[in-house]
Amino acid sequence: MIRRILILTGYFSKAVFFSLTGLILLILSLIYWAIFFPPGQGTPDVENYIILVGALGAGVTFMATLAVSSKAGRMENYPMLVRLPSRVEYLVAVLLSALLLGTILQFLVAGLALIRGPELTMARVLTIPPLWGSINLLAAVLAIHATDLVTAGWSRVILFGTLAVALILNSAAGSPDIWFSDRFNDLSNLFSRVNLLWFSDLAGNAAAWAFESPLTGLANVAGIIFWPFRAMTDAVFAGGFTPSQALAPAVLILYGAILFLVAATLFTSKDLDFLE
Amino acid sequence: MIEFNQVSKNYFSLTALKDITLTIPQGEVVGLLGPNGAGKTTFIKLVAGLISPSSGKITATNHPARWPSVGFKPERLVFPGDLVVSQYLEMIAGLCNVGRVQKDNVVLESLARVNLLAAANKQIKTLSKGMRQRLGLAQALIGDPDLLLLDEPSSGLDPAGQEEMQTYIEELRAAGKTILMSSHQLHEVTRVCTYLIILKDGRVLYRSPVAEALTLRPHVAIQVDRPLDGAKPLLQMVHPNIVVEGSEVILRDEAISMRRQILSILINQGYDIVKVEQRRITLAEIYSEAVQ
Repeated sequence: MIRRILILTGYFSKAVFFSLTGLILLILSLIYWAIFFPPGQGTPDVENYIILVGALGAGVTFMATLAVSSKAGRMENYPMLVRLPSRVEYLVAVLLSALLLGTILQFLVAGLALIRGPELTMARVLTIPPLWGSINLLAAVLAIHATDLVTAGWSRVILFGTLAVALILNSAAGSPDIWFSDRFNDLSNLFSRVNLLWFSDLAGNAAAWAFESPLTGLANVAGIIFWPFRAMTDAVFAGGFTPSQALAPAVLILYGAILFLVAATLFTSKDLDFLE
Repeated sequence: MIEFNQVSKNYFSLTALKDITLTIPQGEVVGLLGPNGAGKTTFIKLVAGLISPSSGKITATNHPARWPSVGFKPERLVFPGDLVVSQYLEMIAGLCNVGRVQKDNVVLESLARVNLLAAANKQIKTLSKGMRQRLGLAQALIGDPDLLLLDEPSSGLDPAGQEEMQTYIEELRAAGKTILMSSHQLHEVTRVCTYLIILKDGRVLYRSPVAEALTLRPHVAIQVDRPLDGAKPLLQMVHPNIVVEGSEVILRDEAISMRRQILSILINQGYDIVKVEQRRITLAEIYSEAVQ
């Protein structure tokens, strides 16, 4: 099984890396480096270095996953696919290829950014792999849900819709009653300014409802879901992980595993109608 | 080997296959015939496991694994164009768990079998259509799969290429391979297939071993030198199973035993006998009767 996965990983990685898409990803990574780590400007902070290169890794892994999935979803791969005892092997190869490409480009920028960049101590270097690795994995698994290779029916709308709602609720975490109430009040004021009094009243009522509603609970749940990101950012700025923050990358990997399980279930049960 | 049990396949409101119940027997070369849109490619994709039935069940019987190993040559000859032929086949061999030591030999053997050794180091995108067809067969043969799925193996080939492809399939048949192939070419199916399935509008209209199908309806054809319009009433008075078509008299069933009598009538009427031939039903007749 591992041999088959490695063969496919090598094939997808080479095919995408030595294609126009690969070149575009490389150019985008270099542009990112030139913007955020201009060589003439001197040393950025270690914290910024870790966060900015981490963000690049996530972004480039997301795009690489889209590119590899597009390659994997071509008709030319039917003869290879039918040889596999399980379709999950194919999906794992897609994921590994994307992670490999994303990581190569991330390391390239990470290396370039060290030219006249921050001085990293060994303790700091050791905190980097769990941070970047877990975020890259999550980006790759999320991206795979956005592709035609895996999506079935409304699956991507449901997943990304849920994510969007969770993000909105998360932005209101802490005092969601006030946050939502304020948003509806803003809306009410806007309507009253343009003389839409009926809509203004409706928004006013919604503001009153939001103040009393169970949104606090939902927002707190969303806050818990996004806790690993806050914990990791806090750890970066604090210069190291506390015992509870050290769990954050593992929680992200768990999210990735759950999302991969969903992707594998969708992929193994869907009709494969690849494009030429 | 593979059993279809009331299998249907729908694409939204379109029914591609409907209530198919049949068995693909082991060691047979099964020919799938049918007009365009009959459901042949859907049938092959179901066996390949690329799509799942909307209802019904497909099972592999008498097989140690859950599903037999499959070599698949799709109808469209698309391959990773940037790869070199031998590289591509090595990759397929790796996916079939062919050991590193044997890999080179397996690739060379499959290339030799389809007469493609000379193109081993060429990029796939530089190959001609005929060479791609052969590459399609070569990759399907790697790893000695239990079941070969060939979707229109001779499509787009010139007569020499078709002849070559049919010879390869005959060799595989002789080696006892189970093959499921779709085709539009009746002579190809007659030549290489041992079992026949005719599909139309997603339904199985006809299925039978080819040898059995071709022994059906024996008849005798007597050909004369000119059209038989004048003698037609006289001949049909002898037996209603006598059919007159142009300058040919066709005798079926009991009428066959009356051939001497018919010959003497024709000679007495002044016709010259050009040919007397014993015939069987042809695949073209079976196909057109089933499809119409």
